[in-house]
Amino acid sequence: MTLAPAQPNASPAAQRRATKKRTEPSNFSIRMGQLALTVAVLGSWELLARAGIIDEFFFPLPSDILITVWEWVSTGYVFPHLWITMQEAVLAFFTGAAVGLILGFLLARVRILERLFDPFLKIFNALPRVVLAPIFLLWFGLGIWSKVAFGFTLVFFIVFFNTLEGVKSVDRVLVDNAKMLGATERQLLRHVFIPSALTWIFSSLHISVGFAITGAVVGEYLGASAGVGYAIAQAQGVFDTEGVFAGMFILMIVVLIIDILVNRVERHLLRWRPNQSG
Amino acid sequence: MTHPVQAEPSPYAVDLTGCTKEFATPGGGSYFAVRDIDLKVEPGRFVSIVGPTGSGKSTILNMAAGLLSPTSGTVKSFGTRIDGVNRRASYMFQQDALLPWKSVIDNVSLGLTMAGVSKADAYSESRRWLEKVGMKNFADRYPHQLSGGMRKRTAVAQAWIVNPDILLMDEPFSALDVQTRQIMENELLQLWGESGKAVVFITHDLDEAIALSDEVIILGAGPGSTVVGSYEITIPRPRDLLDIRDDPKFVELHREIWGRLKVEVSRTYASAQDEESDVA
Repeated sequence: MTLAPAQPNASPAAQRRATKKRTEPSNFSIRMGQLALTVAVLGSWELLARAGIIDEFFFPLPSDILITVWEWVSTGYVFPHLWITMQEAVLAFFTGAAVGLILGFLLARVRILERLFDPFLKIFNALPRVVLAPIFLLWFGLGIWSKVAFGFTLVFFIVFFNTLEGVKSVDRVLVDNAKMLGATERQLLRHVFIPSALTWIFSSLHISVGFAITGAVVGEYLGASAGVGYAIAQAQGVFDTEGVFAGMFILMIVVLIIDILVNRVERHLLRWRPNQSG
Repeated sequence: MTHPVQAEPSPYAVDLTGCTKEFATPGGGSYFAVRDIDLKVEPGRFVSIVGPTGSGKSTILNMAAGLLSPTSGTVKSFGTRIDGVNRRASYMFQQDALLPWKSVIDNVSLGLTMAGVSKADAYSESRRWLEKVGMKNFADRYPHQLSGGMRKRTAVAQAWIVNPDILLMDEPFSALDVQTRQIMENELLQLWGESGKAVVFITHDLDEAIALSDEVIILGAGPGSTVVGSYEITIPRPRDLLDIRDDPKFVELHREIWGRLKVEVSRTYASAQDEESDVA
């Protein structure tokens, strides 16, 4: 669960730059390549399905999927569902990330708490979270709160473990230096631990954004009265594979947009890092 | 903190008496890093500590800084027992200790802003210091955009801006190339000459120690090393470090001190070889 982020002076960035320099493919040609790849995959899918080689029932035509997406969007059918899913995901993300950050910092700084909580956190983290969904459904009902609770358990652990690791792996010398310059515990947190842990926290945020939405959708899929997961379950219920794929497609786009936003924030907050401000 | 104690402060800026530091090893045992260290540094004195690798030089400095507390013995500074970090001392580390997420000027002003000085005042004082260390055109850079020498200059400004009474320096220039290092040493002496600060300077380079110091202290081979010799460096100041190595007094002192240090260095080397043959 601990993803090593790029360290301030680490070489991966330099290596990346070096490889870039050697092969020198322009951004434009990469984009064209990606476009060609997409067209090739979707095109052959379309052709194979039209030729009857793959079953159109299980793999609906990409063109039909896009038409369904357009129908869902133009009729406004999908928006109330999307709105519900987003509410659940946002609530799960912010509560999970906040509690994860606070507990992560606390346990990293107070050694005795870490030792006290360690086995319990490991036990809960080892639990496959999906089995909690039915329980939450019973506890919190069919509304959004059962999904928020489910998403929370997914987001919390990722953010928590990364924050814990991030704070604990802060360079000892930086802490000593700040201490010698007169830093109080609060100033240490603000000037040293939080900025230093940010790289770890951001690598966890990228994943946890996805998990917040996963939590919401899986929760809805198992039992709900609204949401994109519910819409997909409905489509599946009437063997409408186009609807299932359309739901997937819309979720994909939404997660992509959110990830781009997280990237923006990350680039701003971590602008001191060599590979980004150079 | 009673009045008599304050009324009669000990004259020493750094005062270690009988300090022993024991570390636990991962295997459950323990070993002595240093044993029975006595170190007294008067205000305004430049004292270097030289010793073979593993002789606990940094341990001594960290005890003086208050970053480590001795297993036994007392650490005092200006008559006050050190509990927590020594507020009257600045520390220059061997490694880069600038915060990578702060620009040069934010790094330099850190000590002032954390003490509650307004940002404007801290910045103008920082600019003054950046000019002094020749970094005024780089105030907005981040540490990774600087060369090693420039980072050390920034670290000097960061340590001096809080106007400490004591400067603790742990091989601060060891990562620099020889030329840059000599320039930095010269500048350090110039800064220090007018300041009246006590300096404890750690190095493994005897040339550097003699050239800079009023007193050179030799540590024995580790582990459990202790002070084996102390030499007064009587070369008059101001000194020009670029030519000092040809000074007859320098040569004479170097021969004398190296004679003692050599014994400890070969002892360290021999015990390292013993260990190697034990393993083999």
